[in-house]
Formats: sequence, C-alpha cells, structure tokens
Amino acid sequence: MTSAEPERLGGVVRALLSHYWRHPWQAVFLLAGLVAGVALWSAVQIINSHARASYAEADFVLGAQATHWIRSRSGDGIAQADYIALRRAGFRQVFPVVQARVSTADNAPLAIIATDLLALPASMAGEGGDALGDANLDWLAFVQPPYQAWFPAAMADELGVAEGEQLVLRDGRALPPALIAAREQQGRQIFMDVGAALSLLGRDTFTALAVGPISPDTAARLAAALPADLMLEANQQRLDLTQLTASLHTQLTAMSLLSFAVGLFIVFNAVRFSLWYRRPTLRTLRLMGVSVRALTLAIVAETLVWSALGSVLGLLAGLGISHALLPSVSASLQNLYGAVVGADLLLDPLTVAIAWGMTLIGLAFALAWPLLLQLRGPVLPGGSASAGVLADARARRVLLIGAGVLALAAVGVYWQMASVIEGFVLLGLVLFAAAWALPQVLASAHRLLGRVLAGAPLVQRWIVSDGWAQLPALRTAMMALLLALTANLGVETLVGSFRTALAGWLDQRIGADIYVNSARLDTRGFVADPANAGWLATGHARTGVTIRWQGRPTKVYGLDTTTPDTRALPLAQSAPDALARWAGGERLILANEQAHYLGGLRLGQTVTLLTDGGPADYTVAGFFHDYGNPYYQFYLPREALARGWRDVSSTGLALWLKPGVSAETAEAALVAAGVKPGEWFAQGDIKRLSMKIFDRTFAMTAAMNTLTLLVAGAALLTALLAILHERLPEFAQWRALGVTRRELLRVIAVPLALFVTLTWLAAIPLGALLSWLLIYDLNVMSFGWSMPMLWSPLPALKLGLLSAGIVALVLLIVLSQLTRKLPQAMAQLGSTQ
Amino acid sequence: MKAVFLLLMALLVGPAAAQGDPYQVLRSTGDGYASVVPGRPFDFPADHLPHPDYRIEWWYLTANLKDDAGRHWGLQWTLFRQAMSPATDTEGWDSNQIWMAHAAITTPDGHRHEQRFARGGVGQAEVRREDGAFAAWLDDWSLSGDGAAMLPGRLRFTVGEAVIDVQLASDTPPVLQGKGGYSQKSAQGQASYYYSQPHIAVSGSVTVDGKPTTLTGTGWLDREWSSQPLADNQQGWDWFSLHLADGHALMVYRLRHDDGKHWLSGSWVAPDGSARTLGADEIELTVLDTRRVRTPSSANPEATRDLPLSWRVSLPGLKREWTVRALIDDQWMGGRFPYWEGVVLVDEGASGVGYLELTGYGR
Repeated sequence: MTSAEPERLGGVVRALLSHYWRHPWQAVFLLAGLVAGVALWSAVQIINSHARASYAEADFVLGAQATHWIRSRSGDGIAQADYIALRRAGFRQVFPVVQARVSTADNAPLAIIATDLLALPASMAGEGGDALGDANLDWLAFVQPPYQAWFPAAMADELGVAEGEQLVLRDGRALPPALIAAREQQGRQIFMDVGAALSLLGRDTFTALAVGPISPDTAARLAAALPADLMLEANQQRLDLTQLTASLHTQLTAMSLLSFAVGLFIVFNAVRFSLWYRRPTLRTLRLMGVSVRALTLAIVAETLVWSALGSVLGLLAGLGISHALLPSVSASLQNLYGAVVGADLLLDPLTVAIAWGMTLIGLAFALAWPLLLQLRGPVLPGGSASAGVLADARARRVLLIGAGVLALAAVGVYWQMASVIEGFVLLGLVLFAAAWALPQVLASAHRLLGRVLAGAPLVQRWIVSDGWAQLPALRTAMMALLLALTANLGVETLVGSFRTALAGWLDQRIGADIYVNSARLDTRGFVADPANAGWLATGHARTGVTIRWQGRPTKVYGLDTTTPDTRALPLAQSAPDALARWAGGERLILANEQAHYLGGLRLGQTVTLLTDGGPADYTVAGFFHDYGNPYYQFYLPREALARGWRDVSSTGLALWLKPGVSAETAEAALVAAGVKPGEWFAQGDIKRLSMKIFDRTFAMTAAMNTLTLLVAGAALLTALLAILHERLPEFAQWRALGVTRRELLRVIAVPLALFVTLTWLAAIPLGALLSWLLIYDLNVMSFGWSMPMLWSPLPALKLGLLSAGIVALVLLIVLSQLTRKLPQAMAQLGSTQ
Repeated sequence: MKAVFLLLMALLVGPAAAQGDPYQVLRSTGDGYASVVPGRPFDFPADHLPHPDYRIEWWYLTANLKDDAGRHWGLQWTLFRQAMSPATDTEGWDSNQIWMAHAAITTPDGHRHEQRFARGGVGQAEVRREDGAFAAWLDDWSLSGDGAAMLPGRLRFTVGEAVIDVQLASDTPPVLQGKGGYSQKSAQGQASYYYSQPHIAVSGSVTVDGKPTTLTGTGWLDREWSSQPLADNQQGWDWFSLHLADGHALMVYRLRHDDGKHWLSGSWVAPDGSARTLGADEIELTVLDTRRVRTPSSANPEATRDLPLSWRVSLPGLKREWTVRALIDDQWMGGRFPYWEGVVLVDEGASGVGYLELTGYGR
C-alpha cells in the first residue's frame, strides 16, 4: 500500500458509508438485525450469569452466610430454649429461621421467611456487612409490634398490597403492615421478624437454625453441643442448585442462540441489499483504480463500525429485556428448584466482549460471502435480471447441498447423543438443515405453480413469474420465518403435552379430598382416632427421610400400602405385579423417573441406600412419574422405611372423606386437633396451585417464543422494504404503463403469500419433529420426565393466523411506502438507469 | 458517662435521624418514660437489676491491669439496655427491650474491640437473678455475681479470639454520684441516676492469640439509667475515671456546650469509699495535646480524627493537679456507634492509671 492509500482508504470508506445517508432505512434494518440478535442473546446471558451468581449466594440466608443448618431429626422444629442455650454457650454463628407457607384469602400460596436481624452473624462483626447498617431499614419498627412484612415489589403488585396494608390470610389472620422492600436472597418470600412469624403462625419453634461461617473445629464442637434431637448438616444448596439448574440454563442459552441466528438473518438481508445497492459505487471506485484490497479494507472498517454500534445498542436492549424477563425466570427457578434469584442485574465485561465478537463474526460472515461474489466478478458485470436469477439458483443449490450435509450430521449426532448440549446441537442441525433446504423447496413449488398456471390469464402468469424476482430477496427472510415458526410450534407442543400429562397425573395422584401438612399434628394418631371415624373414610400418613444418593439430596418416602392412592399408584414402567409385590414386603423399592433417566437406574436393578444401620440393598420394581421434582425420590412401604431409618419425619397426611361429608366437618376436626388454617389444602386447590406454578414456570418459554416471532416478522419487513427500494423504478415504470396500485400490491402480495404459506406448511411437520426430539430426548435428558407427545393442529392454525397478520401488517407498511415514494420514482423515470 | 448512651438514643427514631444529627434525638423529652427526679432512695442489691421504665441503662466496667512484666493492660465491658417504647415490657419476642454490648481489650501490642446486639425477652441477653445470684449476659459474654450483688463476681467475655476471664471483688460501698445518686447533666434539668464502684480488685487471665497471661489491677464499675439525658446545646463529652497511686479515685467529666461554657462535674473518692461530689468550680480540664488518630469505619477504613489525648486535670480546691495521657493513640471503638475509649496514664503512670472516654469529636 502506498503512502497515499490511507487517505484514499478514508475516502473509500466515506464513499461506502455515504450510502446509508441516502438510504437510512437500510441502516435501520442492519442495526435492527444486530440489535435483535444481540439483545435476546445477551438478555439470556445476563439472566444466566445472574442466576449462577445467585446460586453462589445460596448459602446466604437473608444476607447472612449459612454454611450449615441445624434441623430437628423428628421434624418437630427447634425449641427456642435450645437456640438460646447454643447462643449462651458462645455459638453466635447460629441464628433462627422460620419458614412457612400460608394462603391468602383467595387461596394463593404465600411463602414466609423470618429471622432475628439482631442475631445475624454479620451484625456482630461491627464492620461491613452489618445487618443493621442498611440505611433503608428502620429496624426498630421491624423488630417490635406491630412489626413489618416485607413484600418484594413484584409480589406486592401481584397481591395488590400497598405499603402499610395488612394482608389478610384465608383464616382471617393478618400479616404485619406491609413494607415494599426485600433483603438479599429473599426471593418470592415475605420477610418478617421471627417474633412476628411465630405469633402469626401460632408456633413456638423455629423451622431450623442457620449457621454462619465456622471453622471445622467449632463445627465439631457445635455438633457435640446439640441436644439429641438436633443435627448439624452442611449447607449444600449452592452445589445442588448449580447441578440441578444446569439443564434449564442450557435450554435458555439454546433459545437465545436461536434468536441470535434469526437476528443474523436480518443482518444478512440488510448487508446483501446494502451491497447490491452499492454495486454502482463499487464499480465506479474500482474503475477509478481503487484496489480490491483497499475496498476489502474499507468494508472491514464498515463492519467494525456496525458491529460496535450493534453490540452497544443490543446490549442495552438486552439489559432492558433481561429486566423484563427476570421475574418469569426467577419464578421458574424458584418453582422448579427452590432457587432464589435476586433482582439486581449486572452486565459483565465478558458478556460485552462475547457479544461484540459474535456480531463481528456474524457480520463478517454476512458481509464476506456477498462481498466475495461481488469482488470476484468482472468489473463490469452483465447486470441483467437473468444473471440475478442464475446467481439465485446457484445459491439455492449450494444451500441445498449444505442442508444435506447438516441433515447427515444430525443423523450422526442423534445416534451418539448423550448430553443436553449435544441434544441442542442436534436441534440446531435439524433446524438449519430445514432452513437451508427451504429456498429450493420454495423454488420448486413455485416452478410447479408456474406449470399449473401455464394456460392461465396473463395477469396470473405475470404475478407468478414475478415471484422469481422476489425469491432471492425473500429467501433469507423465509428461512428466518421457518426457524421462528418451527421453534414456536415445537415448544408449543412440548408445553401443551407437558400440561396435559401433568393435569392427568395430578388427577390420578391427588385423589384424596384434603391434604394436611402440619408439624403439630400426630398424623397416625389422628387417622386412628375413633372420634374421626364418623367422617373419615381413609387417611394416609406419609413419612420420609432425606438422604443423599448419587451426590444429590434424595427423599425416601414411607407409604401406607393399603390406601387408595398407593394401590392405584400410576407407574411409568414396572415389573409384572410390581405394586402388590412391593407392598408384600419383598425388599422392593419404587423410584421416580428422574432416578431412571438421570440416575441411570434400571428396572430390576439393585439400589443401595445408606440407612441408619449401614448400606441396604433394594430391588427396583417400578418407576413412577414425578413431574416438577428436580430431586431423586424413592418409595418404600412405611414399615420398611421405619426399619431402615430411626428418625423418620411426618411428611403430610391425605384424608378421604366419607360420601356426603362436607369439608367443613373435616376442617373443624383438624382445627380441634391443633392444625392451623393454611396448613391444609383441599384437592381442587392443590391442582389449581400446581397448574398455576406450571404456567408461571413456562412463562419464560412463552415470552421467548413471542420475541423470536417478532424478530422473524422484522426480518420479513426488512426483506419486503428492500424489495420495494430495489424495484421502485421498475414499479414506477409499471405504474406509468397503467398498472394500478392495487394490481401492483397484488404482484407483491401474492408471491409473498405463497412463500409464507409454503414456509408455514413446512414448519408444521418440522415443528412436530422438533417437539418429538424435545419431548422424547431433550426433556428426558434435562429433567428426567417422560410423557406422551400430544400433537394438535390448533397451535399451527394460531401461528398461521398470526403469520397472516404479520404479513398483512408488513404489506400495509409496504403499501404506505409505495404510495409515498411512487410519485417521486415516476418523476425520476428515465433519469436513472 | 458513656458515649454510646447518646448514640444508642439515636436508634430511637431510626436511621434517618442517626444519619443526620443524633443529638437532635436527645432533645426529645422522654415522654411516657419514668423521669429522673432528685431524692430517690437507692436500694442494693435491687438497683443492680434493670429499671425497664427508664429509656436507657447500662452496666459499665473498666479495668486497668498489669502483667508480671509490669506492662499496662486494659479491659472495657459494657452492657446497654434500651427500651424501644414506654410501654410496660412483656416477655417473649414482643418485648420492647433491646440490648447492646461493647467489649475492648488494650494489650501491650494494641487495642481490639467488638460489639453485639440482642433482643430482650427471649433470654439471649438479660440482667436478672439466676438461682438468687446476679447475672448479666449477652450470648456468652457475662458478668455473674457470687450472690445477689454484682460484686464479688466473675466477668467473662471475648474480643474476637481473645478470651477474658477475671474475678472482681470490692470491700467498699457503692458511691452515689451527684446528689445522692441524682446526677444532673445540664442547667435545664437533664439528669440520670448514677452510682459507681471505683475500688474493684481485679485478677484473672486473658488469653490473646492463644497465649494466656495472668493479670491483676483495679477496676471501675458505673451504673446509670435515665430517660432524657442531654440538653439542646451539648455536643459530646470527655469523661475520666482515674485510680490514683495513693488509693484515691477520681471521676470527672465535661459535657461540651456549643458556646464553650461546658458542664463539669465529678467526685473525689477516698480509699475507704467515702466520696465528695465536685462542683463545676472545683474542676479544671485543659487539653494539652491533640493527636491525629486512625478512626476506621466500614464506610471509610482510612478515616482519621483529631482527638485530645493529653490533658491537665486540676482540682484547685484540693490543690491537686495531674497530667493524663493516652497509653496508646489507637483505642478507637469503631463499631456501629463509634467513640474513643481507652487506657490513660496519670503523670506517665507515676501517679496512677485510668480510663478516658471522648465522644462527639469530628462528626
């Protein structure tokens, strides 16, 4: 490069960029694509890293670190005297925690968490991390009657609670006056003073004691100082959460990458047309003697400008989107895993760097290919329409070959697939194979239509043949649309199937009339009490222990083998006559599907569990469905559980009423037995609650779906506006020849409608394939749940209508543009070209 | 007199006031609480126990000790009670009492301190009789009397990893400060009930960094309770408790007024425990030297303040005069309610030792 070249390069860059001043819409589309892609991707990235950071804080309880928990072996809670004795013995790292579920007047569940702020370990350090140092906290009001109930802003909104109001519970008790505020790690829980919670709940014991950072020596002394009923256990929540939520985060990332890809399609379109438009400029520059190298450098410079701009705007939008999406992700995490995710989002430098790198690579890819085609060609190309069509046919062929390669790779991956990530690679391969094959499919269908209409009136044939002129421009938009529609349909079927399976499962499992969960109630005594015989048909008092199996927290339940729910336990897989033999005391065990799919357990295999008497072997007789549970779970007959473990705790009571008995009778008996209102749920309430949790959990999926579709709609608009700009002189000529605006619109609309319809049709089987993979492979690998796939034409019809709506909207915009610009274009007729 | 007295009061109206001018809080009248009036008869050992009708109260101990090598050590342990409302106290979590404790140790190598908080009513912190014996505690920090009186007794606490366990004994009666225990704090009538035990024999062991040391020396106990302690124009105070080599004990304090006309008071205690209250005209306090002291806080770990750490204390009527100087500069109590409190030497130790408390500087 000579010394004069840098100056010339500046001029070349200016010449190239000046194009966007003349065609600001293209700049807008280019940016829109970049921003759309980066925004969704970075939003998910921000949420994921935020959630992971929250897990790292999961060993914090309300801002204080909890390395251990002290719990009661019998499940009775912790006596206050035991706590005070520990404090007076110098174990100041110990602080009380009360957690409970209550229900609102309209039966929405509320989680309550309470502690003594003055007893948090941090408050005693005196420096930093002072629990009392929070400037927003009037802690004197917090710790004394009437106390305060802290509602996170989102929860207060949902419940319609205003500051100072006292939320009334179902049984008429009122929470302390509300304060719209939240502590770290409060999550979707209402925070209050431990004194307020104990008096509200009518309890005198703590749920557990949390233990702040302690040395191993102190931990050993603490364990030795505990009364016999209490035990010290390490807080493994962070490890457990990181492990448990990995699949969910992979899924989110995969969805965000999909939208990045869709965004890239828009960019691809925009770049393509910006280059197409600038062909004369490029030609002129080359004729002026600018080298191919200098032109390449200039385009690289342009790429850098756009990628930097796109990344910055995209990241800003991403931050906004992540704020909007966070509540639903938090809800998913808390519902599925009990993971608490805070509300403060931060953009970390790595995300920024990756976002910029991705746009750069994406843009380079989108620019490089068309650019190479452009620069490789002769300085003065033919420039005929037929050349364009020929180039398009060539591109279609290349894409089709690529699609074939991807499809082959997909088949290969499918046979080898073992991890969730490989599963998503497979999905990506399938989706892109389909997308790349689409242009050829559209072209073939178009050709077929042309043949069918061979003898039709001129206008019809004209319209069809004009489709050939539109196809190159619409190609990428259609591919983006296919991706979005397929993803939508696939996920829709997945969620629908899951919802149906869950509802059916709940119907089978939640057979009893009332479910009681009260630490106060002697469940077996209550069922056996003759005083209750008048109204109580059957009661099922379950017991359970929490152990670790395969390094994960695992619950082993003891079931009464004679109750109706146990006798009709729906099993996903079972050995012959499994339930009867299991109940018959043959050292058989039932496991949830998670233990099968994620834990690798098989029917008839031996599972070794650590009982109080050492390891014990059980043979797996069957697997039961256990939707929504991230943990492994086992069922043993109640007597078998009691043989293996000394300290089993009561885990709830199911009650079947005699025919004709009202729920009020049962509730009165429960109250008489010391159960507090809010500690029981009617059958219908549980089902409603479960479905509500389900819907909230999948709110994120729905939101992502909608956003992807919007991005695809934007891609369509870009493509059509590009066509409009490109062909405006042509349309002006037609208009001058007497073609009406309505006819003109038809010329644009009919091929478009044809292509969109074909794409939509292609998306239907493809969506089914996607949901099949999601349900039978990815879902099982991620969560360990199996369910039948339920395909319904409704989502496809809904999406068809939605696409038609988007097309109509896009056409409306195009029409207004056409109306606005055509007169000027007609005036310019003959002055250009 | 305790700095924290004032600062704890700031708690009453919450952080907004605490971040502004905590003194403004003290201008509240204490309505609803029992008020401090002259002529109240004192009753021991009953008055060692809490007076929950009053807003604020403390049990405050300092000790000047020496090890076998003759090096100076110091201990401070204070338990504060605070009523959050004038209502009658109830047991349980609804109790309106909260507790705060401060502890510090001055070793030949430096100074360490710690603070704690606790709710009243649940047994985590309390002052009461347990099995007939006086007991004051917050978690595992405790002052326990052998009988119903505070002394003789045993003081056990920790400061970080340092463990303190000392025996306390005294054979002189408590000194009622001011007029028979009615200690006036301003011309406007603000006052507290105040008695002291300035002659306490202290012995025991202190384990710092795993190394036990046997210490002996003299201690000072202050008991004070009030509902409305300070006047409008008082910024803070300088408070001395000195054990003199001749067996006398001296307590003097100065409540600093905006206009420079400070409120001075004190008492001169003979070795036999007989005491004479010192009026404002009998005390002269002069700052000899101000030192720049590191006063780190969580908000500003690099903070420093200018503090008067060298004084001339004169009692012209008794024709006595001493210079009082801080043993070391760094004896800052940098907790949630910061102040300076530490070991001082009288005439470089030749005439005695003591404690000095400085509040309200450099705000």
